[in-house]
Amino acid sequence: MPTEKELQISPLVPDSILHNSRTLVNLQSLTASLFGVVAGILGLESYSGFLFYLAFSLLTTALFYFVRVAPASSFASSTPAQKAGLFDTSRYFHSPIAFWTGGLGNGLAGYILTWTLFYGLVRA
Amino acid sequence: MTWVSKSITVVGGVLLAHACYSAQEHSSLQSFKAAASTLTSSPPTAASLPIDIAIETIVALLVIIFGLVLGTRPMRPIQWHVWAGKVEREGEEGFLDSEGEVNRDYVGNPFRSLETRPGFIDIRKQRKEFAAWVKSGSGQAS
Repeated sequence: MPTEKELQISPLVPDSILHNSRTLVNLQSLTASLFGVVAGILGLESYSGFLFYLAFSLLTTALFYFVRVAPASSFASSTPAQKAGLFDTSRYFHSPIAFWTGGLGNGLAGYILTWTLFYGLVRA
Repeated sequence: MTWVSKSITVVGGVLLAHACYSAQEHSSLQSFKAAASTLTSSPPTAASLPIDIAIETIVALLVIIFGLVLGTRPMRPIQWHVWAGKVEREGEEGFLDSEGEVNRDYVGNPFRSLETRPGFIDIRKQRKEFAAWVKSGSGQAS
């Protein structure tokens, strides 16, 4: 985590932080409902359903990283010193842990809702 | 860009709806068979989902995810110097949303208040320019 002095030297833009995190949260809550639909169709139960959710939300975040975050981070700066390493989200997100695991909590309620709904619909 | 992501999402949605319908039909067929088997006293079969429906569901999910991720809005740099550099370099071009219009909360040049500060205005130069403009205007009029 950056200290207060580092934040004074290189300040952050609150609007951009809000915009980026809102984009990510929108994507995650939308896809979480879709995971529920698929888990209900497949008829997953108990632990396998939650493992399914874990795997696919991490997959979605990784795909988002490779489509939106990685190209700009790696190719925007021409000097090799500023070039970001793999899985570095510091250009667009404050903390990498919140980026990678924030989606798990965001969509869980919607996931369980559509999971139970479609399980009941398909296996009537 | 936006119609690509939308069409991919729609294709995935159609696949998912088809898989859902197939699974529903399969389960109703299984329950019908089970009801029939009690009449003929043949052993009931296991009612697991066929592999092709499972594969179609997973593929549909992956296609929808890909379409939705392609449709997200572009990120903005959070560090002030990176962000301000992007504003200076690209202007409004760098802040288009997925519909190709300038975003609502685009604020423009963050240093505008500094650059138009009254203390930085060269008032003598502006007076000279104004005098030249007046002279040229009166020259044209006469």
